[in-house]
Amino acid sequence: MARFYVLDVPENVGVVDVARQDDHNTVDRIGPYFRITAPETIVIDRRSTGCRHAVWYSAVAGLEGSVIVQHDKNALRVERRADG
Amino acid sequence: MTDKPVHRVRGVDHAAFPTFDPAATVRFYRDVLKFPIVHSICAAGWGPERHPDFIHFFFDIGGGDRLAFFYYFGWEPAGDQSAPGDAWARLPHGTPKFFADSRHLAINVEDEEDLLEYRRRLDESEWPVEMQVMHETIESIYTHDPNGYMVEITRALRPVTPQEDLDAELTLQALCDVVAGEAPSMDQLLTRKAELIVERAASWEPAGKELV
Amino acid sequence: MTSNSRRVGLIVPSSNVTVETELPRLLRRVDGVEFSFHASRMRMHAVTPEQLRAMNAQRERCVLEIGDAQTDVLLYACLVAVMAMGAGEHRDAELRIAEQLALGGSDTKVLSSAGALVRALTDLAAKRVALVMPYTEPVARTVVEYLEAEGFTITGWRALGVADNTEVGCIPGEAVLAAARELDLSDSDALVISCCVQMPSLDLVQPAEEEFGLPVLSAATAGAYSILRALGLPVDLPGAGSLLRTDANVQV
Repeated sequence: MARFYVLDVPENVGVVDVARQDDHNTVDRIGPYFRITAPETIVIDRRSTGCRHAVWYSAVAGLEGSVIVQHDKNALRVERRADG
Repeated sequence: MTDKPVHRVRGVDHAAFPTFDPAATVRFYRDVLKFPIVHSICAAGWGPERHPDFIHFFFDIGGGDRLAFFYYFGWEPAGDQSAPGDAWARLPHGTPKFFADSRHLAINVEDEEDLLEYRRRLDESEWPVEMQVMHETIESIYTHDPNGYMVEITRALRPVTPQEDLDAELTLQALCDVVAGEAPSMDQLLTRKAELIVERAASWEPAGKELV
Repeated sequence: MTSNSRRVGLIVPSSNVTVETELPRLLRRVDGVEFSFHASRMRMHAVTPEQLRAMNAQRERCVLEIGDAQTDVLLYACLVAVMAMGAGEHRDAELRIAEQLALGGSDTKVLSSAGALVRALTDLAAKRVALVMPYTEPVARTVVEYLEAEGFTITGWRALGVADNTEVGCIPGEAVLAAARELDLSDSDALVISCCVQMPSLDLVQPAEEEFGLPVLSAATAGAYSILRALGLPVDLPGAGSLLRTDANVQV
């Protein structure tokens, strides 16, 4: 299971919206955070989110049993951690 | 028993820096930025440290806060003046800009009109704006003053929300936890922070300060 | 400097000669302590509002000079220069001087003759006070209003109308006493026989106290009193009024 958290602030809405569009992902909430979960891998396309750079690179609030394998101008890719 | 809150401080009284070029410093802050000079003191070293005669002078930076400088007569700057750094200290050659600029002063303005007004004042001066940046929640302009200190003028794009206070609290708790261990990394921090989110975020309520 | 010696710094108007005469005469009467006096001067000839303001601008230079002498205490000895700046100004002046000295690492105690007078009257519990001053009437009114703003009631005052500060230093004692005798002191707690550090009055204080039967003080005796208090020394000097006998019955 891949899972990461995103704080609910206006700038992060694009990230959450893009995550929702993928049927593999489940988006729910824990307190003021969105929790994004998928069986193996979560991929967010940056351009679809409309995020500016500073927002894009600070959008991930937490990683649960997961690891960021890509976080660049193209995409954020979160995978299940091998040892997790 | 006192009724006063735990957190009682009221902002910056003054932040003080040395200068070797008081004339340019006055031009930059008083003449270009139009910060009023509000106080000065002429003194000498009368204590155990027999330091030179000096002038301590203050600019009003709004909100009752002040920016202060020391000018010591006859005191020479230390270190290689071609190296990165400022009047207080020079860093090794090759030190990247992000690190040299990490220590800086940011002064708040109310709105875009005011930010652009300070941009105009700087751009017409010997110290034009070097960079204008939109962060997540703030927009800022940057330049370096005549002493090499980076000065930022910034405006908030929206108020800080209560959940950001919680997020900052959890980030810093995670950071303190991971720097106590071996080779701290962002990966470790985000993993630790997810644990803290699970532990604490579900029961968080926006109005409920008692949980923070 | 030995443990029984103390340095007193003085900042005086350049034409003042009385502070440097009367304070040493007073403090020489302190048993077991030797005082030395170190003065710095601000140019001033006439006691007019313009010249008083110009004089205050020289204060920073004088503080630097006294700072170099590392005195134990500093008395900013122009009462009316401070009072002319507006109500409560002695606190601000003392604070500015103390800040300037402290910033340079000095722990010199800072006093002003205006503050010393207020303190002496307060410590005497004198609420209703009569004044004799050398000044012209507008300057004298400034002093009266200043002390009223400090919460004192001025029951009466006489001003001798002398503006030239050198002439103030030559006013004969008989003229000062004569002015004091014109005052109705029946409802006063204390008489300030010279509300000026330049008008000579030290020899008048004790006789006037005996003649009028109430505490009599001067800018000089109030200054000496505050210096002793600031240095933590007992206040018990002979022949200069009851203010300087305050600790006479206190065993130290």
